[in-house]
Amino acid sequence: MEPITGQEHARRSADEALMRRILDGDEAALGTLYDRYGGLVYSIANRILRDTGAAEEVLQDIFHQIWRTAARFDFERGSLSAWLLVMARSRSIDRLRRRSIVTTEEAEPSNMALRAEWDLETAAAQNQMIAQVRKALEALPEAQRQAMELAYFEGLTQTEIASRTGDPLGTVKTRIRAAIASLKKALGV
Amino acid sequence: MNGHLQFEEDLELHALGVLDGDDKASVEAHLAGCAECRAKLAGARSRMAILGLAAPPSAPGPRVRERVLQDFRSRRGAGAPSPAATPIRRRPSRWAPLWAMAAVVLLAAAGWLRFENRRLSLQLDELEAEHQQLVANNRQFAAESARAQAALEVLTAPDTVKVELTAAAARPVPHGKAFYNASRGLIFYATNLAALPAGRTYELWLIPSQGAPVAAGLFNSDSHGNGEVVLPSLPQGVTAKAFAVTIERAGGVPAPTGPKVLIGATS
Repeated sequence: MEPITGQEHARRSADEALMRRILDGDEAALGTLYDRYGGLVYSIANRILRDTGAAEEVLQDIFHQIWRTAARFDFERGSLSAWLLVMARSRSIDRLRRRSIVTTEEAEPSNMALRAEWDLETAAAQNQMIAQVRKALEALPEAQRQAMELAYFEGLTQTEIASRTGDPLGTVKTRIRAAIASLKKALGV
Repeated sequence: MNGHLQFEEDLELHALGVLDGDDKASVEAHLAGCAECRAKLAGARSRMAILGLAAPPSAPGPRVRERVLQDFRSRRGAGAPSPAATPIRRRPSRWAPLWAMAAVVLLAAAGWLRFENRRLSLQLDELEAEHQQLVANNRQFAAESARAQAALEVLTAPDTVKVELTAAAARPVPHGKAFYNASRGLIFYATNLAALPAGRTYELWLIPSQGAPVAAGLFNSDSHGNGEVVLPSLPQGVTAKAFAVTIERAGGVPAPTGPKVLIGATS
């Protein structure tokens, strides 16, 4: 299990403090949280759905869920930013493919024991992390990168990817496993 | 824990949502019965979620922020349920008979809690053992790390002397000497000979000016690598042009076949 850095503690407590204020009915706190993470959530939804209206609806739904479930969020076990990234993708894929990749039970904040090894609190930190993820993806061989993008942003399964690219299923499986191993190494997660 | 190692990679594939068919079914079947892997799945989701940052940055319209806040204002104000603030109401006395039933439920709950307590304390023991193992691993790592550091210091210290060492002595080269007199006979000795494996022998050959080599005696090296052939019987009227030593099978052969160890001409 990875050690939690001081910075991570600070960020967690900042998000947690905002959530407590939201629970107390503080509208400004929800606004601050939206300003912090709204762009990230929207960018993922917009990339997956390629429809600004639909992406905005996903964003709105997720922020609705934040304040509805704020009391059940467990900051000892999870991080809000990672939960938001997971939800942005899963809600968008649900909408695009009519297929759930995260069950209702798993989507409960109290059950989502995420650890964000990454600091996404400020725009500067987010930009730095965005550059790092892009660089890691670009470093992959073309076929691996294509398979990962079809999986992550198009929500395709391995069989669907094989069918889309015309490659044997075994090749697609190997590519995805190799890509995940390389990305984990490059990103240190 | 060992049973799940292979499975961690599958958890990432599951989190990514690429599994289907039998692959998906087997992961889901495992997850249904494995709390440990269900807990790890959240970590896998987190690792995969980071890839979302590769999405090109874009911004929602400003009205979305207002809709989010408006939604919060209206539903919050309308008394949306808050799990933390659910009021506890006092029941009227006509519900009193239910207390008996509640007592039965509480007794059952007490029994369950005792069982749960025992299960948790077993879990605690397991965690304690795991903790001890981690402490031991940590101690071993610290010792190895200190040793590596000490080695590095020897290599980098300015007063460290570097000494080149080579093999203590070159492998001794076999050497032979033949004292040959066509009319009186031959005396041959050799030094630095390698010991031969069982079933092998050195064989001395007289190579005449004309014709095939003539066998001039068999010998083996002693424990110091020395060997000799003294006054072997040689055919009459043959004059040597050279001498050679080969390695042959025990008992010797009529004509040289094995590797040549020594050779020397008479003049």
